[in-house]
Amino acid sequence: MKKLLAFILALGMVLALAACSGKDGQPASLSSASWEEIVDAAKGTTVTFYGWGGDEDRNNWLASVAAPYMKEHYDITLEVVGMNIDEILAKLAGEKEAGSASGSIDMIWINGENFYSAKENGLLYGAFLDKLPNTEAYIDTQDPETLNDFCMPIEGYEAPYGKAQLVLYNDSAVTPETPSSAQELLSYCQQYPGRVTYPALPDFTGSAFVRNIIYEICGWEQFQTMEADYDTVKSAVEPALDYLRSLNPYLWNQGRTFPDSSTTVDAMFADGELVMGMSYSPYGVSVGIENGVYTDTTRTFLFENGTIGNTNYMSIAFNAPNPAGAMVVINAMISAQLQLSQYEKLRNLPVVSPEKLSAEEKAAFDAVDMGEGVLSQDELLAHRLPEMPAKLVPVIEEIWLNEVVGK
Amino acid sequence: MWKRRTAYILLLPLAGVTVLLTLACGSVLAQSLGYVPAFGLTRLTLDYYWAALSKPEFFPALLVSLRTALLSAAAASVLGTGLCAALVRRGARGMAVHLVRLPILVPHTVTALFAILLLGQTGLLARTAYFLGIISDFSQFPQLLFTPGYGGTILAYLWKEVPFVAYFTLALMAGVSSTLGEAAENLGASPLRAFFTVTLPLSLPAVSQAFLIIFLFAFGGYELPLLLGATSPKALPVYAHLAYMSPELRQRPAAMALYGVILLLSAAMAALYGILTRRLLRRIGGGV
Amino acid sequence: MRKKSLFSRLALGTAAACILLPVCLLVFWSVTARWSWPSLLPERWSLRTLRELFFGSQNLWQLLGSSVALGGAAAAVSTAIGLFAARAVALYDFPGKSLVRFAWLLPLLVPGPVFAVGIHLTLLRIGLADTISGVLLVHVTASLPYSAAILTDVTAALGGGLEEQAALLGANPVQAFFAGSLPGLMPGILSSLSMSFILSYSQYFTTLIVGGGRVKTLALTLVPYIQGGDRSLASSYALAFTGSALLVFVVFEAFIHRGRKGDGGI
Repeated sequence: MKKLLAFILALGMVLALAACSGKDGQPASLSSASWEEIVDAAKGTTVTFYGWGGDEDRNNWLASVAAPYMKEHYDITLEVVGMNIDEILAKLAGEKEAGSASGSIDMIWINGENFYSAKENGLLYGAFLDKLPNTEAYIDTQDPETLNDFCMPIEGYEAPYGKAQLVLYNDSAVTPETPSSAQELLSYCQQYPGRVTYPALPDFTGSAFVRNIIYEICGWEQFQTMEADYDTVKSAVEPALDYLRSLNPYLWNQGRTFPDSSTTVDAMFADGELVMGMSYSPYGVSVGIENGVYTDTTRTFLFENGTIGNTNYMSIAFNAPNPAGAMVVINAMISAQLQLSQYEKLRNLPVVSPEKLSAEEKAAFDAVDMGEGVLSQDELLAHRLPEMPAKLVPVIEEIWLNEVVGK
Repeated sequence: MWKRRTAYILLLPLAGVTVLLTLACGSVLAQSLGYVPAFGLTRLTLDYYWAALSKPEFFPALLVSLRTALLSAAAASVLGTGLCAALVRRGARGMAVHLVRLPILVPHTVTALFAILLLGQTGLLARTAYFLGIISDFSQFPQLLFTPGYGGTILAYLWKEVPFVAYFTLALMAGVSSTLGEAAENLGASPLRAFFTVTLPLSLPAVSQAFLIIFLFAFGGYELPLLLGATSPKALPVYAHLAYMSPELRQRPAAMALYGVILLLSAAMAALYGILTRRLLRRIGGGV
Repeated sequence: MRKKSLFSRLALGTAAACILLPVCLLVFWSVTARWSWPSLLPERWSLRTLRELFFGSQNLWQLLGSSVALGGAAAAVSTAIGLFAARAVALYDFPGKSLVRFAWLLPLLVPGPVFAVGIHLTLLRIGLADTISGVLLVHVTASLPYSAAILTDVTAALGGGLEEQAALLGANPVQAFFAGSLPGLMPGILSSLSMSFILSYSQYFTTLIVGGGRVKTLALTLVPYIQGGDRSLASSYALAFTGSALLVFVVFEAFIHRGRKGDGGI
């Protein structure tokens, strides 16, 4: 037993040493360094990219396209770590509290409330967007989604990664209708009682769906500047709450219980338990059809007045061991080449501005086949509504729980 | 005297781990008192606890958690002891033991997936009923999951924890049965009598520990009630989990206060349980 | 006798059915694309997820190797510490004994995130965060209550008598333990090893926070896919996870069995 213990301890120490070594160097002062110096400093280093890891297609893309690209062009090893954003923030918060100057996270996949909170609490590296040459080359710097994330000023703390937009979907072979407004949705639910629902808030998609209903009933403009106060918000959204309560009797389980997440809703739709679903990936239906999860007659649709769209971003951690490398990787991610590849392979709405693309690049984007059952990029963007201020989101989630569930 | 010193030396590694753990809890519970210097919060206060306790959803949530934990632990202990006895009878080895270990290996999220695929309204049971002509549409199949009674959660816990009790008790019961139980049978006791008068009482320490472990786990675990429970009322750990998940880092003390409440209640119940079982076991003659 | 074996056959049969039915479902789901109401069998089959499992973005064999190594180390350390503590509590009398029993229950009382976040903070301060040793330490802590409980029960049941006899015959304490108690404790030690292995093998949040994503295990990879909602992929990973752990046990026990021919027990 003693020998075994000694062996294990020795093993542990060796492994610990192996894990500790290999820290990457960084230039003395990044803020004054030129881009060439940054690229030079990043050569031969490792960059860690932390973000949600539940999408195998994205993991594959990162492993088979993005990582080899970084190795080939910049001699950077891109290491992708799957971790939920709340866990990333918990880890960073711990490191902040323990005063750790050099952590293990370089890049983070982030947006919305999480970005706001991380920025507010000093968990991010700082402004870097202007340093990247591709910002000027490909990104529309005056686009509200480059300037603001959920109405919060970005100030260069994060760079766009991809665009999402709330879409609705159903199967034309099961229900011929595609409700294009809140009112039509109500009669649709009445026609198919018990077969429609949405994910329980604070699920990301469920929360966006409820905000979208609020936009339908109460308009969207007033919320852009609203105070995040429970009573103010509640009186503003009262008509939408009435509507949601009137929906309840016709929902799955009479609106007493809602599925825990959007993935559960997707699964219930695939099983035929629901006749309609909603998703934040506008091209999710075509992927589902290709994988055989959805029937070939499944199609995507939108509300006539538009649906909520937002952008997701890449940021750098406050204690990133390799900020120079992170900047180089982020710069590459917003290039036309990798954005096109994402559009093609992951069917992710690109963040590059069409006006800044060359005719050749533009043609390449237009030539991408988005598959069956989905809407064109133009149609999606024509029906795109801005997000609410990040601070309103948790307030609305609380109001929904108190005023809608089981009422 | 040397004996006492030996005991303390033997306990040193455990003490090391315990110190580490106590430090860990301390640093987090400090957050529940509003002490998070990294975010500029330094004033110590009990406000977060009062806020947690005075929410209208607190007591329904506490009841849900207590009820789920109690029912799961009690049913799992009884059924698990039965299963263990059956295993011991069959020699406590081979395929049967591997089989019993399987559910312990399955993560809770996968167990929830099982429950949905099997017991949901479009699950395998409902489909079988449809196939046999008992129901004509899935809406006629009784809603077992997502109900305010948390029946689905309890069933999922049982699937995992009945085998756990059996496995946890197996080493002790097999030992007791192969020595004392068989001796009783050789002295003329019927197998049933030998089991209830000798083997079972002597195995009770393990069963009662297993009961406590399951109770604490089901009281503090959020996964199954989150995935299989109702939207309202939620179980206590689900509230804590949602508060913890909230991106607003300055609300971290509120989440930690909820966890603090769970921790204190768990400790109180463990202590109460310890006192009760010691009395009970002393009466039966087992002794811990 | 006959009645009893009927009971045990019935109990084991029911248990086997209840345990295996969902696991069979998992096998079906891992090769299913679509399986909608009210079909009793999948309508569209697909090998997509198996392809992704073996040739996808994750290196399955490396994950298996590191998970098994970590689990084995955690099981050995936790069983050793548990055995020490169990002997102290079961064979010696000293003040503060009930405090000890409370101390080893502590990891069970502490809610998961408090445990993970708190220990992360503590390990950061002593420089063990993001290392394998740190993760090992956390896994040992998580499995200690089970090891200690199992080993105390068997140690108490066995008593110190055999060791005392060996000591009377002139053996030193270590020899006395190996000759006197160890054979009798073996079933408990094996249970404790397997239980701790399971605990370590299935740790998710603690490994994530303390290992910082640098220490990679199968559980760490599995959970995002389950939460990702792709039921077929989740089923494949869950099968790989459960199957590999079972395989470890079969191999381990065959090994032990050969070492102790005809020695009964588990």
